[in-house]
Amino acid sequence: MSVALLRRHALTAYALLAFGYLLLPIAIVILFSFNNPAGRFNYTWEGFTLDNWGSPFGIPGLWPALKVSLEIAALSSLAATTLGTLIALALVRYRFRGGGATNLLIFMPMTTPEIVMGASLLALFLNLGLATGFWTIVIAHITFNVSYVVVTVKARLVGFDRHLEEAAMDLGANEWTTFWRVTVPLIAPGILAASLLAFALSVDDFVITNFNAGATITFPLYVWGAARVGVPPQVNVVGTMIFLAAVGGMLVNVLVQRRLGKGAA
Amino acid sequence: MTHEHLTRVELLRRAALGGAALTVPGFLAACGGGGIEKEAGTTAATTASKKLAKRLTISNWPLYIDTEKKRHPTLDEFKQRYGVTVRYIEDVNDNDSFYGKVQAQLSRGQSIDRDIMVLTDWMAARVKRLGWLEPLDAAAIPNKKNLVPGLAHPSWDPDRKYSLPWQSFLTGIGYDPNRVGKEITTFDDLLDPKLKGKVTMLSEMIDTLGLIMLAEGDDPAQVTKKTFDKAMAKLKKIVSSGQVRQFTGNDYAPLLAKGDVWAAVAWSGDVIGLQPDNPKLRFRIPEEGGMIATDNMLIPKGGNAHTASVFMNYVYDPKVMAKIEASVNYVPPVVGTKAELAKIDPALAKNALIFPDLSKLHAFDPNAADNKSYKQQFQSAIGS
Amino acid sequence: MAFLHRHRWATPYLLLLPGAAWLALFFVVPTYYLVNTSLQTGSLDVGYVFDWAWRNYSDAISTYHDQLVRSFEYAGLATVLALAIGYPLAYWIAFRGGRWKSLLLLFIIAPFFVTYLIRTLAWQTILADEGVVSNLLRDLHLLSADGRLLATSTAVVAGITYNFLPFMALPLYVSLEQIDPRLVEAAEDLYASRLQAFLRVTLPLSLPGVFAGTLLTFIPAAGDFVNAQLLGTPREHMIGNVIQSKFLVITDYPAAAALSLVLMAAILAGVAAYARALGTERLTG
Repeated sequence: MSVALLRRHALTAYALLAFGYLLLPIAIVILFSFNNPAGRFNYTWEGFTLDNWGSPFGIPGLWPALKVSLEIAALSSLAATTLGTLIALALVRYRFRGGGATNLLIFMPMTTPEIVMGASLLALFLNLGLATGFWTIVIAHITFNVSYVVVTVKARLVGFDRHLEEAAMDLGANEWTTFWRVTVPLIAPGILAASLLAFALSVDDFVITNFNAGATITFPLYVWGAARVGVPPQVNVVGTMIFLAAVGGMLVNVLVQRRLGKGAA
Repeated sequence: MTHEHLTRVELLRRAALGGAALTVPGFLAACGGGGIEKEAGTTAATTASKKLAKRLTISNWPLYIDTEKKRHPTLDEFKQRYGVTVRYIEDVNDNDSFYGKVQAQLSRGQSIDRDIMVLTDWMAARVKRLGWLEPLDAAAIPNKKNLVPGLAHPSWDPDRKYSLPWQSFLTGIGYDPNRVGKEITTFDDLLDPKLKGKVTMLSEMIDTLGLIMLAEGDDPAQVTKKTFDKAMAKLKKIVSSGQVRQFTGNDYAPLLAKGDVWAAVAWSGDVIGLQPDNPKLRFRIPEEGGMIATDNMLIPKGGNAHTASVFMNYVYDPKVMAKIEASVNYVPPVVGTKAELAKIDPALAKNALIFPDLSKLHAFDPNAADNKSYKQQFQSAIGS
Repeated sequence: MAFLHRHRWATPYLLLLPGAAWLALFFVVPTYYLVNTSLQTGSLDVGYVFDWAWRNYSDAISTYHDQLVRSFEYAGLATVLALAIGYPLAYWIAFRGGRWKSLLLLFIIAPFFVTYLIRTLAWQTILADEGVVSNLLRDLHLLSADGRLLATSTAVVAGITYNFLPFMALPLYVSLEQIDPRLVEAAEDLYASRLQAFLRVTLPLSLPGVFAGTLLTFIPAAGDFVNAQLLGTPREHMIGNVIQSKFLVITDYPAAAALSLVLMAAILAGVAAYARALGTERLTG
């Protein structure tokens, strides 16, 4: 018994260490957002200050870059969620010729390394003579996001009870009404989760964006540039904000799912 | 300037010199072709738009302008004086990357949404040769007379019609004598096994290879295949020994200040600017010599030439240049800066790195600097 | 709507059309252009033209052989490490997490909520030569007095492992969570040893998670260049660094395109071999 006990604790200790590994860099990022560096480098702890949080956009260029990132994320997640949800509906609800090919088309972008995807999009834009910039980033982000949306919405649709729709149709609702009044509310949490995921992936993306940005600067590209001369603590502040927003979005999504779950039950 | 590199604008200029009395219609008839018509059109447009734009967008290297409390005072003053807001973007991390970023647009004649970009000599020569630059509005730059005579006639832009220097910079060695345990006086001192993994070098070929050539007793201003191969062999040996921790742009600065790197092939102003982080840091030109090069303000096609030129005129005022200099600590291209700087900071005005003795400084061979085969060999040696 | 009623067969295709057309246009077509570019010759100044230049491939492979091999070494190592860290972690959450499972899962994906570059830069701070970790290891004599962590292959592999660990842990968790605990209990009674029960029941049932996790970790790891750039030196550079620099710095597009396709082909070949070795029929069936 004591051996089993030891093993149980060994596993727990191992898991705690693993959590430490996962969370340590996050703690560092948050901690250094409160640092008060003497020179221009934010790498050794010099003292606590709230100044960075008081003026997170006090350094030139940071806010415009973040704004561009948010705009691109909004546009690309909206488009990708629409395209992806329709594909997911088709894949789960219908049997049709070409389903296998469609699955492959969805699967491939997710198994392509980012650098190859970024490179091939750049190859496209170069050969077509399209200048890279804001819109090519939007196109790239929609492209890598569609697959993630399909997978997320599909997961929700698979566990979906067709009987509810059949019941609605029996009660005299037509297909369109049934879709909007029954289907959409039921899969709404899945769509919401997918759009949040797409938004987060877009804000975070560096590799593909770096290939297709031209002279446009997004937040990750700003960080990449800043890393060459010393990242100011304000970057940590914005990083922490994004972290908190993502955790918040995740919690909201969980709550919405719970509430809808209760409502349906 | 060889004949094949003659751009349309230059053709015009030469033709105009040949027949100063030529009227525009007659000129068109003489040359024929729609291209000229377009050229005449843009000239007319430039003359017509002598009004200042509301906004001026500048791409420059990081930490290359005066900064105080996260603002750039000279840019604020420019706005006060001319009502032009400057969007100042520090997105030139190295010449090649910036070129890679903007070439797709510029090669198609599209605007890159920049009015001024600052590039090093050899890259400036390339974009000029490709015809991607707007000429300066000379009438708006009376202060051009303050340009240091030594920089007035580069081979790639003999009359500075397309460019004005922003700063010149020295390449030497930055180091922390406490960590190294002694002074570093030559390039070969960087190769001390005690410094293994504590050294960075610059990813710009002209800087790193220039110092290596000087260490080998060769002249970086006259690169031959033999001297190039010799320097490359030495570089490859240095890389494979693990002596060099990284090849960097400006990003050696945090490492040097932090102590992860003890000695670096470095740019003069960077090291002076690191003093607040680490007062012990020193910069030295190696005994065998160091490198000097110049970064130039250029107006990419589609930029507002008049507003950009007004800005250039503004920074060519020694008073303004002195303010920038007090912060960036490079080598100013404007006559009279030293006297103005003495009023702000007398110690800096005496700094030999800002007003250097040119006898130990060498410029890199401009043809070799943009030689594709050389660059590829260099890039592959530094592992990318 | 009337059209849809009369042509029900058309509905799925209409739903598919916008998304599929998008992916065809911006995923399939670009791949064609990547192949096309990889066979071009010329230079940026004079322009690149298609020329069936197969030697771009042989040149690329022979010149960047080291970086290619290194990419797969590092990616493989990082995948094994992520499995070693992620499996016990996922197991612990799935079987011991109790009502805290959701919160613990949040911890696993938390790194994804910090911008990729920022969390990698945090490792620069953690592993710095004069940092806490380096000094601790030196005091414990695990690191020689002049040894370092940052700018070594250790740092690069640790960074890659960290950045892709959630990709490993999540699928593992999903497959472990689906295992009925009663099945494990029954197996423990049957085999009379927890280890035996684990090896004969739990592990085989979690193999789909292992398969998905290793692929999701290995593929992005093999193409990564950020970790090698920020935590390594030129001697740790991977094929991603070369592709990045060839495309964006040196603007040698044909070589860059050829290298991208070599990377992709190598990954596909590796995945196919791996799937065969592990027996996908059993996994998906």
